[in-house]
Amino acid sequence: MRSYQPKQGAGTDIAIAGTIMGQGPKRVGRNTCVEIFETPLPGMGVRYEFTTEHGRRIGVLVHRDARRDLLVYSADDLDTCSEALRLTTTESASLVELLGGTKITERLTDLRHEVEGLSIEWVSIKRGSPLADCSIGDGKIRTLTGASVVAILRDGDSYPGPGPDFMLRVGDLALVIGSIDGVARARTIIAG
Amino acid sequence: MAIDIALLELGVMMIVLASMGRLAFALGLPTVPFYLVAGLFFGDGGFVPIEEASSFVDIGSSLGVIFLLFMLGLEYTPVELRQSLASDPASHVVDLVANASPGVIAGFVLGWGPLGATMLGGITYISSSGVVAKLLVDLGRLGNRETPGILSTLVIEDLVMAIFLPVVAVLLAGESALSGVVSGLIALAIISSVIALPARAGHRASLLVDAESREVLLISLLGIALLVAGIAEHFHVSYAIGAFLVGILLSGQVAERARHLLEPLRDSFSALFFVSFGLAVDPVTLIGVLPVAGLLALVGAASKFGSGYWTARRRGSTSRGARRAGVTLIPRGEFSIVLAGIAIAGNVDADVGPITVAYVLLLAVGGSMAARFVP
Repeated sequence: MRSYQPKQGAGTDIAIAGTIMGQGPKRVGRNTCVEIFETPLPGMGVRYEFTTEHGRRIGVLVHRDARRDLLVYSADDLDTCSEALRLTTTESASLVELLGGTKITERLTDLRHEVEGLSIEWVSIKRGSPLADCSIGDGKIRTLTGASVVAILRDGDSYPGPGPDFMLRVGDLALVIGSIDGVARARTIIAG
Repeated sequence: MAIDIALLELGVMMIVLASMGRLAFALGLPTVPFYLVAGLFFGDGGFVPIEEASSFVDIGSSLGVIFLLFMLGLEYTPVELRQSLASDPASHVVDLVANASPGVIAGFVLGWGPLGATMLGGITYISSSGVVAKLLVDLGRLGNRETPGILSTLVIEDLVMAIFLPVVAVLLAGESALSGVVSGLIALAIISSVIALPARAGHRASLLVDAESREVLLISLLGIALLVAGIAEHFHVSYAIGAFLVGILLSGQVAERARHLLEPLRDSFSALFFVSFGLAVDPVTLIGVLPVAGLLALVGAASKFGSGYWTARRRGSTSRGARRAGVTLIPRGEFSIVLAGIAIAGNVDADVGPITVAYVLLLAVGGSMAARFVP
């Protein structure tokens, strides 16, 4: 029974149209490897699509400002996108979390179970956020709240353990860990 | 200049523009044709004269062209330019020949001479990147199979303009054929160096402009764009192209930040540009050119549909996808108006303004509506 196999599924091993992304070429079973097609869209961003086991096509459009659209293709015409859902950076992060996506989320969930009262939150830096174009140190987050920024996601890249001089940009997602109260206050400092 | 009257004129104009913009959004249509129509209400032959504010409108509309083209250059990264050039060159040649020749032929028939005919060819050729890209986003078609082909057509058309414009602008200014060739070659050299240079070199150049403060970056960008535009105009290469080339040169993070910073400036000043183009056109003259413009629009819609359909089919779209591609590329817009502005400055013919306004009105509105109805 496949559903009982632990930690297996799309998202852990992604092959992109011939090239393997992630930890180098790795031989993976047919069921765990999704062949993803990458198409550049000049002036817009990059589009990734794949066909599901049940013959439906879905995709993600990564805009240049790192915003993402979820694309769902028509069932009878795989060339036609029938739904393009616009997601904010926070929403796409939440969707990934709900879909049981990244390893980092899995580990964080484990961590949350182990430490009582630990709060973990993704905070997005939007236009007009107080810390946009400022360094993490400028916010004095740890001094004021006890919470820490432990990783930054930017344009699909992750920056674990950013130093105090790490410059935050609009579109970044900051992973904040601390007490429930501390994280809430850190969110106010970062996002306003 | 009486400042109170000038401000009143500008205020009324902006409010009319805003109402037209609201109407455009409510109807799901591009704003460009609505701003042009708003321009017809003012100025020559319109209801409201613009006199005291006219010098501001003149400068403002030049700034509008500069921001429009600067942002267009910023839209494309060198990698995207490279990929678009490599993808199916034959389709780009077909696009050029099919859509420029109706204008060229019409230009000769109207007796505008070779230069005037070439300008009209450019006007009928180029699809509106702004209108088409917005249609693709609004209709949720960025995911479709035919979309990369549509977008690379837009990229190549804009690049063709970047080489074509300096040549014709210099020739229209009455310079020798040699200087026309030289300015075309300079544009070609700048574009090919941007495309050929490794991305890292481009980033390093862009970092010279970068500044941590948004304010300083914005003012640096304005300074560079205006300076290069001024130099280009001094050598009769058209300030529009100067701004476009600076935009192409900037890349990476600086380009991304510049896009955010300049967007509101572009939106406000390009509205001023479209309205001022409408100002210079007397609505009565539109009626006279309607048969010519209507015929050009019909042929222009058909030729664009044909080249777009053919390109999409070659790239493996279904006939339904190819029909969508053909229709989506029909709208003409900002670049046709920019070309017409240069043609007017070069004294091509009095009719070039009204013909272009009518052509853009018909195809921007008609093309956008048609794109919605094609499933």
